[in-house]
Amino acid sequence: MRVAVVQFPGSNCDQDALWALRLVGLRAELVWHTEGSLEGFQAAVLPGGFSYGDYLRAGALAKFSPVMQEVRRLALRGYPVVGICNGFQVLTEAGLLPGALLANTNLHFTCKEVYLRVERTDLPFTSAYAQGQVLRLPIAHAEGRYYADEETLERLEQNRQVVFRYAPAPHAAGGPDHNPNGSLHDIAGIVNEGGNVLGMMPHPERAVEEVLGGTDGLGLFWSLKAALEVLPA
Amino acid sequence: MRYHLTLLIELKDGILDPQGRAVEGVLQGLGFRVEGVRVGRVLEMEVEARDEAEARAVAQRIGQALANPVMEVFVVEAVKELV
Repeated sequence: MRVAVVQFPGSNCDQDALWALRLVGLRAELVWHTEGSLEGFQAAVLPGGFSYGDYLRAGALAKFSPVMQEVRRLALRGYPVVGICNGFQVLTEAGLLPGALLANTNLHFTCKEVYLRVERTDLPFTSAYAQGQVLRLPIAHAEGRYYADEETLERLEQNRQVVFRYAPAPHAAGGPDHNPNGSLHDIAGIVNEGGNVLGMMPHPERAVEEVLGGTDGLGLFWSLKAALEVLPA
Repeated sequence: MRYHLTLLIELKDGILDPQGRAVEGVLQGLGFRVEGVRVGRVLEMEVEARDEAEARAVAQRIGQALANPVMEVFVVEAVKELV
């Protein structure tokens, strides 16, 4: 099972993603964005960073990269596709996920640890987590405010497409400020209707070893590995 | 013929524009009595086309490729023949 980590000009979490995937024993390889084929890959990760310098809009130019046709093909065939941070922005721009990621309400580039609740565990990305488990993961973005019109939000909720939601710290008094960017419905991550395309703003690949400050992101990679083991090659 | 195109890309009405809000605050601080400030983008380019109608059609297609319909609208602001 091979996982492609797509490198756009300006990607900067590509090596971290590669590291995390290999840490759980997956075969992961970097793929440059001009690549016209993802033949032989059973999953793709669009990593964080600033593809094309975030010019025009975050993710807006990366969607035209040749490799995106292949990412779309993988997605349509039901293989897992994960977009993290800038990768999430690319997936929404490309229309592989609904909605859009707008400038944080506070206009700051926000780099800190946040808490998010796992809303679904029946996915190739979350099977290693417990329903309702609260994860601590880092975020680092300026455009992470999930937006979609009312109708789309309702559909997302009805189909249970919201996978991760920003949540108060466990055992904390709780407050209105657990949502770091103004995302509607506290959305931190969603899947497509088929459940095989995930986009999330927090960085699981930056939380896979204690030395990095936590291991709550590891579950995502273990889940992916388990899912890929039962997929046809 | 050569044409100069001007496209505007703006956030849809009703979508919170924190940039616009920040600019509005500064303008008000400077004493301008302004409200409803929104920040958008201007794209300018030159194209070869048979006539103005074709140049306008190209501008429309470019707007469709570059604007994100989830939260933006685009306007072909001007199509000017270059002489």
